[in-house]
Amino acid sequence: MSASMTSGSVPGPAKDLKVARALGTRRHLTNTVVKALCIAATVLGLVLLGSILFTLIWRGAAGLSLTVFTHTTKPPGSNGGLLNAIVGTLIQTAAGTVIGTPIGLMVGTYLAEYGRNSPLANAVRFVSDVLLSAPSILIGLFVYEIAVEPFGGFSGIAGCIALAIIVIPIVVRTTEDMLRLITPALREAAIGLGAPKWKVIVLICYRAAMDGIVTGVLLAIARIAGETAPLLFTSLGNLNWSVSLKQPMASLPVTIYQYAGSAFDDWVQLAWVGALLITFGVLAINIAARLVLSRGK
Amino acid sequence: MSMTSESTQSQNASFGGVQARAHAAMNAARISIRNLDFFYGDHRALKGIALDLPDRQVTGMIGPSGCGKSTLLRVLNRMYDLYPGQHATGEVMMDGDNIIDPKMDLNALRARIGMVFQKPTPFPMTIAENIAFGVKLHERLSKSAMEERIEWSLTRAALWGEVKDRLQTSAMGLSGGQQQRLCIARTIAVRPEVILLDEPTSALDPISTLKIEELIDELKHDFTIAIVTHNMQQAARCADQVAFFYLGEMVECAPAAQIFTSPKQKRTQEYVTGRFG
Amino acid sequence: MQQAVALTGSSVARRSRPGDPIFAGIARASGVFVLLLMGSLILSLFIGGLQAFRRFGASFLVSTTWDPVHEVFGAAVSVYGTVTTSVLALILAVPIAFGIAFFLTELAPAWMRRPVGVAVELLAAVPSIIYGMWGFFVIVPIMSQYVEPTLIDTFDGIPVLEDMFAGPPFGTGLFTAALVLTVMVVPFIAATMRDVFETVPPVFKESAYGVGCTTWEVMRSIVIPYTRVSVVGGIMLGLGRALGETMAVTFVIGNSDHITANLFGSGNTIASIVALEFPESPAGSLKLSSLLALGFILFVISFIVLAISRTLLRPRLKV
Repeated sequence: MSASMTSGSVPGPAKDLKVARALGTRRHLTNTVVKALCIAATVLGLVLLGSILFTLIWRGAAGLSLTVFTHTTKPPGSNGGLLNAIVGTLIQTAAGTVIGTPIGLMVGTYLAEYGRNSPLANAVRFVSDVLLSAPSILIGLFVYEIAVEPFGGFSGIAGCIALAIIVIPIVVRTTEDMLRLITPALREAAIGLGAPKWKVIVLICYRAAMDGIVTGVLLAIARIAGETAPLLFTSLGNLNWSVSLKQPMASLPVTIYQYAGSAFDDWVQLAWVGALLITFGVLAINIAARLVLSRGK
Repeated sequence: MSMTSESTQSQNASFGGVQARAHAAMNAARISIRNLDFFYGDHRALKGIALDLPDRQVTGMIGPSGCGKSTLLRVLNRMYDLYPGQHATGEVMMDGDNIIDPKMDLNALRARIGMVFQKPTPFPMTIAENIAFGVKLHERLSKSAMEERIEWSLTRAALWGEVKDRLQTSAMGLSGGQQQRLCIARTIAVRPEVILLDEPTSALDPISTLKIEELIDELKHDFTIAIVTHNMQQAARCADQVAFFYLGEMVECAPAAQIFTSPKQKRTQEYVTGRFG
Repeated sequence: MQQAVALTGSSVARRSRPGDPIFAGIARASGVFVLLLMGSLILSLFIGGLQAFRRFGASFLVSTTWDPVHEVFGAAVSVYGTVTTSVLALILAVPIAFGIAFFLTELAPAWMRRPVGVAVELLAAVPSIIYGMWGFFVIVPIMSQYVEPTLIDTFDGIPVLEDMFAGPPFGTGLFTAALVLTVMVVPFIAATMRDVFETVPPVFKESAYGVGCTTWEVMRSIVIPYTRVSVVGGIMLGLGRALGETMAVTFVIGNSDHITANLFGSGNTIASIVALEFPESPAGSLKLSSLLALGFILFVISFIVLAISRTLLRPRLKV
């Protein structure tokens, strides 16, 4: 047994406690400093969030009144509101979601249930992931090229298309992730009863993954409701009342953009009100999405 | 060469199933536990434990899943501190210090009480770096002293012969049994006084298991050892004293020979004869 | 004979269940649609920019001229602004994001993890135009009154730094844009890092604690080496965000068409110049084509960054 031969070459379990203690002090110091820096970083992050929310409330709440919701945007100095912008955002967000969600759902279904790891599925997954983080202004340019220039003008429908393109990859991601979490046993049990695959997916899997899919859709809504850049070249914005999808259409973010940079105090004030509305709307949807996801747990 | 004969003897014992080895009287306590309670949140997982770990001997801990034996091990090196909501009360004395005192220097404590886990956990670095990693935390060694320490610990862990030509390769490339012996080497390289083994062979094949058991027999000449195991033959082969745990209580602690042949408690007898667990 | 063939399993199934092939077909078509979408996105930007690429050739990439009056356009100023602000933002954001992720995974008491984690995620959900307004109305005044004069004084006389931290202390400019971008990408990187750190099996961390490591040593020696690749992926994801950010940058960068070597000078990025100049670019004009060409360049840069990010992240964060 060679093990016992060399056991004497280094003295037994006792070690130099003085060295260990000196090293320990230094290591503890490093540890404490790093911990303190990390806590500082977190505090900084929270302070920034607080600063943004505080600024919004501070400057936005002052201009909050019923007029904001009942009057449309008007020239400076004439007591305008944001009604057309709010309605425009609701229409475009709703339409973008309604167009984008079914496509995203089907793509997610394809990736999780059919394509899996086939080359086509891998390509689709890759492209969808890139699209998820692609600069949204480029999606605006793209829709301008395909839906504005050929048809001779900016329109609400072009805005909806741009937002729908942003919705798709978000829904794809959550749908695929959620479908993949379902245990094979559930599928097998349903197939074992003689159900065709598509019925298993629609009636069993979608239901099992419902919370996750709803979360994805809510996150998508929150994302597109606050998007500005893709709307600049598509629905453009409209200072007059219009709910026609064939005409340029107002939206809160674009109106905020136009008003915030203006020289008129009442417009800047309305920009803050709009910013307050859109931010708290978006954050509320985000929190709702998290509640939906944690509901089942 | 008394060790050789002893390890042969333990090998023989392994063929005898639950035949416990003969052994000498218990040494003085290295760690002594009194009135230990442990809580996961509100759930009391250990109830009034009192147990001595004799110096340079092996204490085996057996019992059905969830009985608290692994929990006790995690109290001894304060691993539970990593998780919120877990706390212990009572006394776990070592050299006049209460281990579960909140003021305890945990890093120094863990340098004195090493632990080997159920699953081999090689760090993502070379074999040599794996050993040197823990040593560097507590000691300042020259390059040659470090090389000597690496060789020493790997030799003690019965791994030197297998890895001496590939010390600079990744530890991830070793087999499961080799990885576990590397983890043992990494633990003893720090030169702790106590080594805790949490089901160290449950993820290993029979040959590797045998090697680790021989190793435990070797190591107890220098280290105080506590081993949690599901395998009663293993407890019989390795341990000098065996403690039986059930539902958070320590039912019985006695020399290995006694607990497997003539336990005092009925529950112990039922467990070791396989009636439950 | 014919009947026997028809009775084999698959054809029976197909005949009695037309729903399956139809559903599978729709799913597959949707997948192909996403590919086509991406393909046409690239193609439309390229075709749109073709006029500019033809006219200016390779010099479009290196020319710093942006002269709408004489219709001479170059990408260099915007590419410089885009890369400078994004890289600077990343340099500032990575340590902060790491600190937050470290805090959330290892340091924070249990009751704090979820609320603080959600707060960080909410920071990521704030619309970018809000960051723009906040930057313009809150950060810019602070920069011009306090930060920029102080930095100019501090680095006065120190080579290199003296030239970097110079320029008119108006508050707007590349440095402020980078700061606002930092605030925007920190939550993205922090959330990704946290998710990645959480994939390290606890037993590895325990065994490092078991030899007496401090929390920081466990992080440095175990968690970071384990997750190194994915951490870089998360950082690239943040870079991808910063490169294409439009609204926040447009508000605070100052929007000038010239390259300034110092950080307080104004400039522009690809996204900001596209957003600002687009309304003044008639359909079919060379200027519009140049903007689309810039969009194409931005797409190529982002695509590369995002592709790398995804390749590094996917193996660890796959669900």
